[in-house]
Amino acid sequence: MPQKEYDVLIIGSGASGGMAAYTLTRKGVKCLMLDAGPLVDFNRSRQVRQAYELPYHGFGEPGRLPHVAQATEFNANQWVDEKEVPYTHDPKTPFNWVRVRMVGGKSLFWARMSFRLSDYEFKAKDHDGFGENWPIDHAELAPFYSRVEPIFRVAGRKEGLKQLPDGEFEEDASPWSESMNRFIAQAKSRDIAVTKMRRSLGKGQFASSLNLLLPEAMETGNLTIVPNAVVRDLTVDKNTGLVNGANFVDRHSKREMHAKARVVVLGASCLESTRILLNSKIANSSGVLGHYLHDQTYVTQGVVAIDKAPGGNQGGGSGGYVPRFVNLKSGKEEDFIRGYAFDFNLAGTPDAKYVPGYGAELEKALAEYRGKAASVTIMGEVLARYENIVSIDKIVVDAYGIPVLHFQCKYGDNETKMLKHAMTTFEELCRAAGFETLAKHDRPWPPGYSIHELGTCRMGDDPKKSVLNKWNQSHDIKNLFVVDGSSFVTGGYQNPTMTILSLAMRASEYMMDQMKARNI
Amino acid sequence: MKRRRFFHILAALPAASVLHGQQAGPAGASPDDLPKLEPSLPDSAADPVPHFFTAAQFAALRKTADLIMPPVNGSPGALTAGAAEFLDFLIGDSDAERRHVYRAGLDGLNAQAQKRFNKPFADLDNAQADLLLAPLGQPWTFDEPDDPVARFLRAAKADVRTATMNSREYGAGRRFVGSGLYWYPLD
Repeated sequence: MPQKEYDVLIIGSGASGGMAAYTLTRKGVKCLMLDAGPLVDFNRSRQVRQAYELPYHGFGEPGRLPHVAQATEFNANQWVDEKEVPYTHDPKTPFNWVRVRMVGGKSLFWARMSFRLSDYEFKAKDHDGFGENWPIDHAELAPFYSRVEPIFRVAGRKEGLKQLPDGEFEEDASPWSESMNRFIAQAKSRDIAVTKMRRSLGKGQFASSLNLLLPEAMETGNLTIVPNAVVRDLTVDKNTGLVNGANFVDRHSKREMHAKARVVVLGASCLESTRILLNSKIANSSGVLGHYLHDQTYVTQGVVAIDKAPGGNQGGGSGGYVPRFVNLKSGKEEDFIRGYAFDFNLAGTPDAKYVPGYGAELEKALAEYRGKAASVTIMGEVLARYENIVSIDKIVVDAYGIPVLHFQCKYGDNETKMLKHAMTTFEELCRAAGFETLAKHDRPWPPGYSIHELGTCRMGDDPKKSVLNKWNQSHDIKNLFVVDGSSFVTGGYQNPTMTILSLAMRASEYMMDQMKARNI
Repeated sequence: MKRRRFFHILAALPAASVLHGQQAGPAGASPDDLPKLEPSLPDSAADPVPHFFTAAQFAALRKTADLIMPPVNGSPGALTAGAAEFLDFLIGDSDAERRHVYRAGLDGLNAQAQKRFNKPFADLDNAQADLLLAPLGQPWTFDEPDDPVARFLRAAKADVRTATMNSREYGAGRRFVGSGLYWYPLD
């Protein structure tokens, strides 16, 4: 039986794989896409139910998803089963690896926060001396951001901030609430910018590759999607040293299969792509594959405070975003480097746990505080360090017999100092704006909680210090591209999806040029 | 398999494939023609049998639950919602640390009640019990309290409220309380 061969094999169907398919197929490239999960019929897979109808009344089955803080009893089935696809780490240094396996990937569930990186991130080493620069800058990626943003319909307001470049926004002209105006005035007095959230509106229920990228790719007739295909490793032509396909396991039957292609694109998510490469034992002449794992620190409910003025939530929106405002001059103004952002709201209701008391007294206080509570999620940059690493566990395999990842990753002093600064600053702003603090803390969730894993196949100009070149192309194997967040050199404080999409589009266009020129 | 789920699946199957070996219905018959049965949940038809806590611990838990979430403004409280009975099941199914927090805390409450009032916590009047629940009046801190009673009370405050507000009794007539978009297991 003659083996089918495609121009490009794309592994993963989320933001990065979806963008590769969208870009390549519209230019006539025949693509095969493998995804480890099913193509979900959302109408049949979900139903509104009452908590008391569920076995654990909404508490969730104890111990079922110990690393997924986002899991509830309602959504537990949407996450990867940790028993089916486990991973390992030292109990003292947990990593919350939050995974989705279904066509569309994590783009089905992301928070839609849509930011560009700035040259404070692309050229971070130039600014403060730590780590490495990216081999590209904002100007180089800007045309791709500008094409991605309209596809995802990013709403926002142009602010002219160097640390958070503007994009092609659907203008958000909504007014602020009275309490937000008080907060903004205080922030302005300290040279801190407050912006409207920049968020992908998408279409209908989703802002996902499933509805924004893959349908157009399918319409070309050039895309074949195979769900439930769990990739084991990539295969290499012994004569040329080039990759020529992938071995995969059918998720239902466990049948072993092989898919063949002229070019391979990994877009399986930062850590799954890295795992595939490590299990394939390729693309690692630099020795940095799996190193420099980083994400963003997340402190949720870092400050909970109550507005003491009446009617503060009237007049407009009470949610805002404060982009990085520290270390913008010399890069070393504080006792830490880099920076953080606030995603905050001033018109919520505090969780009962933050309100002292119980019984009728507590219920009365909660009723009084309804719509008056400030709360913040602090999102801080994590330095990309060589010693934060994933490797292949020598013993444990998943349900498909594929060796799993072992994590060695922890935050350091820079992150700790940054979060303390962030908590203190937000509390000061709230207090100055007329809020009274109910609770505060600066403890981040374990690494991984942000679902922004980055950096384990970092790009760079020097093949001895990086896995990929500036086109997301393997230094070692020229027909291998990795287009997800693993290519990041630094992640900044910004949610990475817009950057991942833009890099994937850019890499795919370069790939087409190289294929046309018969260079690959 | 729950009956409601069974009928959900049944309704999604092509008529010819319903129940292996059974003849297909008349031409044009639809699975939608099947009668819609409304099954009941076990909680509405039977009573739970607590088995995890000792009698003394369970009595203290019921008293604690009643104090944390009494009936307020016409809403059912923890006792009506069966919060303590549900927590007996939930905590009994949880990891060793969570079980210890509850058991040690409830034992501590009973010991304090015995020492100060010469009777178990469940038999205290509310004014006496309030004195032992004083740790709940402290401001929230990120770190768990070291004191076993304070630690238990903090956990119980959250769990009793959730168990009450997610109960059928509390949710009756409230559209958005304790509901959510449930995901079935993926195919």
